[in-house]
Amino acid sequence: MDSPSTDSVSARHPLEVLRFLGLVLLGSIVGGVAALVAVGFVNAVVGLNDLLLISPRGQMMAANTTLVILATLLVPTLGGLLVGQLHRGLPGGRPHTPADAIAAVQTRRGRLPAKAGALSGLSSLVSLGAGASVGQYGPLVHLGATLGSLITRLLHLGRSEDNITIACGVAAAIAAAFNAPLAGIVFAHEVVLRHYALRAFAPVAAAAIVGYVLATQLLDQGALFHITEPGVPQPWEFALFLVLGGLGALVAGAYMHAVLAVGQLAKRLPLPVSLHPALAGALLGLTALWVPDILGMGQETLRFATLPGAYGGGELLMVLLLKLAATALCLGLGFAGGVFSPALVIGTLFGALVGTLVAELGGGQETFIFYAVCGMVAVTAPVLGAPLTTLLIVFELTGSYALTTAALASVTLANPLAAQLFGRSLFDIQLARRGLDLSAGRSRAVLQETRLTELISHDAVTLHPATPLTKAISFLSKAGHGEAYLVDDRGRYQGCVTLASLETLRENSQATTLADCPETPRPVLDPHSSLWEAMHQLEKVTGEAIAVVDNERRFLGVTYESSIARAFLYHSDALRREEHGAG
Amino acid sequence: MLARRWIPGLLAGLLALATPIWAEVPDAVNSLTVLSWGGAYEQAQRRALFTPFTDAHDLPVAVDSYNGGLTKLRQAVAQNDVRWDVIDMTRSEAMAACEEGLLEPLPPDLTAPAPDGTPASQDFFAGALGRCFISHSIFATVVAYRRDAFPGERPTRIADLFDQQRFPGPRALQRTPAANLEWALLSYQVPREELYRLLSTRRGLDLAFARLQSIADIHWWEAGDTPVRLLEEGEVVMASGYNGRFFAAMVECDLPIEILWDGQLQEHETWVIPRGAPNPEAARAFIRFATTSEHQVALARHIPYGPARRSASMQVTTHRDTGLDMRLHIPTHPINAQGAVTKDEAWYARTQARVEALFHEALTPQE
Repeated sequence: MDSPSTDSVSARHPLEVLRFLGLVLLGSIVGGVAALVAVGFVNAVVGLNDLLLISPRGQMMAANTTLVILATLLVPTLGGLLVGQLHRGLPGGRPHTPADAIAAVQTRRGRLPAKAGALSGLSSLVSLGAGASVGQYGPLVHLGATLGSLITRLLHLGRSEDNITIACGVAAAIAAAFNAPLAGIVFAHEVVLRHYALRAFAPVAAAAIVGYVLATQLLDQGALFHITEPGVPQPWEFALFLVLGGLGALVAGAYMHAVLAVGQLAKRLPLPVSLHPALAGALLGLTALWVPDILGMGQETLRFATLPGAYGGGELLMVLLLKLAATALCLGLGFAGGVFSPALVIGTLFGALVGTLVAELGGGQETFIFYAVCGMVAVTAPVLGAPLTTLLIVFELTGSYALTTAALASVTLANPLAAQLFGRSLFDIQLARRGLDLSAGRSRAVLQETRLTELISHDAVTLHPATPLTKAISFLSKAGHGEAYLVDDRGRYQGCVTLASLETLRENSQATTLADCPETPRPVLDPHSSLWEAMHQLEKVTGEAIAVVDNERRFLGVTYESSIARAFLYHSDALRREEHGAG
Repeated sequence: MLARRWIPGLLAGLLALATPIWAEVPDAVNSLTVLSWGGAYEQAQRRALFTPFTDAHDLPVAVDSYNGGLTKLRQAVAQNDVRWDVIDMTRSEAMAACEEGLLEPLPPDLTAPAPDGTPASQDFFAGALGRCFISHSIFATVVAYRRDAFPGERPTRIADLFDQQRFPGPRALQRTPAANLEWALLSYQVPREELYRLLSTRRGLDLAFARLQSIADIHWWEAGDTPVRLLEEGEVVMASGYNGRFFAAMVECDLPIEILWDGQLQEHETWVIPRGAPNPEAARAFIRFATTSEHQVALARHIPYGPARRSASMQVTTHRDTGLDMRLHIPTHPINAQGAVTKDEAWYARTQARVEALFHEALTPQE
């Protein structure tokens, strides 16, 4: 018995193998470029913060108190002014974020715009350099994605390759910035690609390794989160870590909604949009005079929050709330930057708060660091929609299995709870508000993004409503169509008739012209509607095609049911090849 | 990964082709003048560096001595009357002198690669190669303890300095913020890379002061020989001090003390060429000679100063006079250096006065 499937399983064409190896090589090149950009970006932010007297070190070295106060007030304000001007050059007036990269991959559109990417990167650099309370990893991820997409376009490669190199750029940026290649690979799959095809895995892994190696050579900053020999928690503490995860989901929800709400409120602000960031900067600087911990990315705040006794319980709560408010203010009012670093700080402060409470209720101080890390994970994982990545970051940065398992207890509850209450991630919520719903997976996203325009056919019988019944029947029969579309003198669509219904009418001989026919109720489509909507309309229709009309009901043509089905099959097949291809 | 194996070799080869320029001493020069610190240190340098250099290049070395400071150099450069070719200088002073324009910039390829071909830039410790200086040795401020005070468990981590429950007894610490603040934060498990960023905040300083205040019985010392004496007399069981002095006390006076290397605060000692040096060519040839792995190893057989290159600290052998294994006594040996902190001299240069004022206010208000 011959099995028909043996051919496709056995050896592939050598050229195919070469193409695949080429893709891996391309991935490593993208990884190298993205990592160099990431390293340059990170170093530039540190340099700017020191130079502009934003970082504690810069302030300490400056020695002059008046100068430091002036810098705290003016640098974020002027930075905001500059950011506002930069954003005028961006389509939509908003900086691009990882959400844009996710949308490009999930809809298979690819082709991230280079100019918007570069401008967004620059304005993120200005925002971070000037001390805005925003994150640096989002901009790095988006820069990496844009570079990956750009390189594919320069080489005239297809959409599938475009999606993979976007993921490569993302993986390399994370691998380089965190010194964590595994987290980079998993982030690209978990957040951006959302599938685990071997065809994508190999180039992404290559990119992450190159990024990691380059970063270890070039980036001379210590690990973000280095921890030596944490103790061992009591078994009952794991229950607390679980609960902490659930509460963390609520903090994450508050954080995400604060960011979105300020964005909504900003629309009602009686101030030109380009001045919004400056206002945020001024408010931030003013508050930072009182609580300097909220300024910038907050690496010192993050570290202090992991040290027992560095903050009192009340202080932790105050800094947590202020940091949350400051970040919502900065991002909502248009500073460019990520959501991850502030989430790390907020989460760690939250975990430290819980740890302090537990210690006061009689728990030990030795496991304080566990609470801080669990809080960090419980808040960041839901914001990113990336439980595995966050766990791997903890694992790769601390090298501690005990900490990673404790963090696992926290994400177990944090991620599903936040997903139920708020959404899979802040990116998904943002995209849903822009009309792209990723909750039903990628196949739906692709269909939502495919426009009907290319499926419109003009091969259809159109008849004037005044046409006599008999003439219409013979006309339809000769044309070989079963349906006709009624279009009046002004080109407006008036309804649809089928050959079968006309025949019935003639036998009953009640009507003489088509206008007298009873209307066959049938939906119409807008040329700009998506394939997804068209498929939904199809459910209500039995017939050959649906008429396409513009918003003044002018008849533009028809879309055949069969062409919608063919398009659906085509996209599904492309997705399947991309997501299940082995190489 | 193939590339990583041959690129360093290739670079080393290119360097080897380019380097002979610095290895030759011009014929017209008849002596080289070095300014160093005198005493046992100068003796060690004479035996390990100056005499072999004279033998190799047929050029006598004249030695002048000083106690640090830039005043004389400033005068000499201003009067255009510089008589030294090479100066042995602390890194913080070398940084300041370089900024002031008192030093000749050094060519980046002046130092030789390691014997195995590793380029100098990778072989030297971070921060050892400056625009105008090349670190040659590294000394450390460390904690030493009396072995007999802890017959059972011995201190192994710098956090143990503050743990008087497990390691009871009075401590002796230097009456300066340097080393004490770093150690205090390290005891909270702050990573080394973040020490000075955290010490730049009031919160970080307060945390450090709180840790120091928690020590029950502190003897504050100022002169470098005091901690050795306090340990010798049994006044304290743990003391901070310079690794060279503790070595001498152990080897020459048989004092029953042990050095706790974790948290050691490392400082660099460098070679520089003053602006307007009479024989800059010969000076460069000397620096290249003295900073090779081979000669750094030779120097470390006389004094327990760590060579500034990785390849050299791996090869340090025995003390010339006593036959003692010197590896265990130099700050930069990989085992000792595991928990080493490099003093941020730029940070101290800017903040010393303010930090010192806060330090005295928090810890020694009566004085």
